[in-house]
Amino acid sequence: MSKLLPFLCLLALPLPAQDARQIVEESQRRGRAASQHYEGVLEVFGAHNKVSKKSWQSDRLGSYGNSKAVIRFTAPAEVKGVALLVLNHPDRSSDQWMWTPAIGRDRRIAQQDRSTRFFGTDFSFEDLEERDVGQFDFRLLGDETIEGAPCWKIESKPRQSKSSQYTSSRVWIRKDNYVPVQYENFVKDALVRRLRQKEIEKIQGIYTPRLLEMTDLRRDSRTVLKLENVRYEVPMKEDDFTVQALRRQP
Amino acid sequence: MNRVAQASACRGQLQFAVLLLLILAPRAYSQTFTQRGFLETDLIGYPQTAPNDSGQVIGEALFRYEAFYKLSPDWQFAGGIDARTDTHNQVDRDWQLSWDDRERRRPSFAVRQLSATYSHNKLTVELGKQFIRWGKADLLNPTSRFSPQDFLTVVDADFLAVTAARLTYGGQSNTIELVWSPLFTPSRVPLLGQRWSIVPAGVTLQEQAPSLPGGSQFGARWNHIGRAAEYSLSFYDGRNNLPLFNFQLQPQLPLTVDVQRFYPQMRMYGGDAAIPLKSITVKVEAAYFTSTTKTEDEYALFVAQVERQAGEWFFIGGYAGEAITAYRPGLQFAPDRGLTRAFLGHAGYTIDTNRSVALETAIRQNGRGVWVKLEYSQSFGQHWRATAGYTLIRGDTSDFLGEYRRNSHALLALRYSF
Repeated sequence: MSKLLPFLCLLALPLPAQDARQIVEESQRRGRAASQHYEGVLEVFGAHNKVSKKSWQSDRLGSYGNSKAVIRFTAPAEVKGVALLVLNHPDRSSDQWMWTPAIGRDRRIAQQDRSTRFFGTDFSFEDLEERDVGQFDFRLLGDETIEGAPCWKIESKPRQSKSSQYTSSRVWIRKDNYVPVQYENFVKDALVRRLRQKEIEKIQGIYTPRLLEMTDLRRDSRTVLKLENVRYEVPMKEDDFTVQALRRQP
Repeated sequence: MNRVAQASACRGQLQFAVLLLLILAPRAYSQTFTQRGFLETDLIGYPQTAPNDSGQVIGEALFRYEAFYKLSPDWQFAGGIDARTDTHNQVDRDWQLSWDDRERRRPSFAVRQLSATYSHNKLTVELGKQFIRWGKADLLNPTSRFSPQDFLTVVDADFLAVTAARLTYGGQSNTIELVWSPLFTPSRVPLLGQRWSIVPAGVTLQEQAPSLPGGSQFGARWNHIGRAAEYSLSFYDGRNNLPLFNFQLQPQLPLTVDVQRFYPQMRMYGGDAAIPLKSITVKVEAAYFTSTTKTEDEYALFVAQVERQAGEWFFIGGYAGEAITAYRPGLQFAPDRGLTRAFLGHAGYTIDTNRSVALETAIRQNGRGVWVKLEYSQSFGQHWRATAGYTLIRGDTSDFLGEYRRNSHALLALRYSF
């Protein structure tokens, strides 16, 4: 999701002296919008090439540290209406609630449960967060090329070690447009998840990846998310991003 | 106008409203109209017969359709219908559309929900037939007083909607909820002539028309969401949706007893909390019940549970308890109390994107009743899901769970969702 983008939107300026934090901040600044809407189509490829398809609709109000987001499944039919509310905070990990209309209950996703997969996809609940750069320490590891595009390679580590399932992450940010194109997430020294962001398109002045591919290396499965009907600066109400609002939606 | 005529007139208006909803719905603007539903067929097999029920194989079919229409940012409407049939006379055959769910059997056609919601800033008002769930625990919800259930098959109970006006005010941190229900909706209890009613040998029970209360039910709930915990306080004043029974012995042979359901007055003071800790989430819920009905106990129910997700597993385990503060003689059908003084558990494992298994259990602390339900579920493509399961019930005849020991059963279900 484009929410992931900000989280790992780590970057640097095209100057060799630029520091990793500046790069990330610039990347986040360029992706900033008052709100964002998109419709996502997901294909989950299991270890034995079993494929399941899902789709959701995402609305986000605000950017980075203080944003609020609702992701609501629209397909398949049996999960239609299942929704996740994410309230991001500048100084700590997000609060999350999941609404399951079939049983009419909402459930807070506890911190220790954030490493589990989000509804059968390869994204974990934590991957759906947007975090402020202030929650991480960054280190510029060097330059690398991803699919022909020169990138900065930056390492990030959460300042509060217990606030994340990941011990560290690495992000590759393109030097020409400051768009993160790849993330690698580590638990201790083991690479556990890789996110690739492709088909970058400028929408309303914001470079936006239209295709995200998350691979869970422990499960040997991957999820491809295609973003459709992406719009920024969509009018949204603050009151639609509460647990109460989550319940009143179908 | 008498009650029957009122009900008939009401039913006619409702049929019109539902038909209007169904006709208008597809024409609604696509971005503000959503719909969902399913057709499910179940095959249930009981290895053992019961003294009052020789049926061992039952077929059921349920069609459910729900539509939601957002007229404007402030107004939205929800409607849903159920259509069902079965092979065991648990479903009415009169093809009438039901609104109030007061029928003895499951209605063949029922308005599942039909409500209008107005929301503006921190205020939400919902009017009509709606589902209201209170409480935070997963295993048992003693504070959820506006959620009657269909207990025809006791251990597989579905929730019923209530006719109510609900006002909710508040933001993310604090909400106040006020509920007023002018029409009492009772829980549906097992049919006397079937296996989920345990009838003493040599006695014939004749069911009389129930004594359904007039008046309204009222409830209030305050909920707080904090950084470290969520908690609520709740209050209810109305009727218990689970019945007590009046008995009258008839002077004839064989021994015949007239049975009549009635619904005791109830006042509830409750609270619940969810507290995420370092490695588990703790949830507690408790309620104290008083009654002015002379044959209804006064008692407290509570449940404490822990839950955890780990990889593809989730676990919920806890204990449900009961403390009676005033014992009054009365025969009651009370599955909520029947599941107390017991250890409760729920576990699930997601095998892959299409397959999962789940286990639910209740074990009475004195060991006299055990209920275990194991289910395997697999989806096929975007629309189909098959479920196979087995429910094992064992115990003593004196125990709420144990008395159903001849009702262990297997389930095979096929659902098409759209």
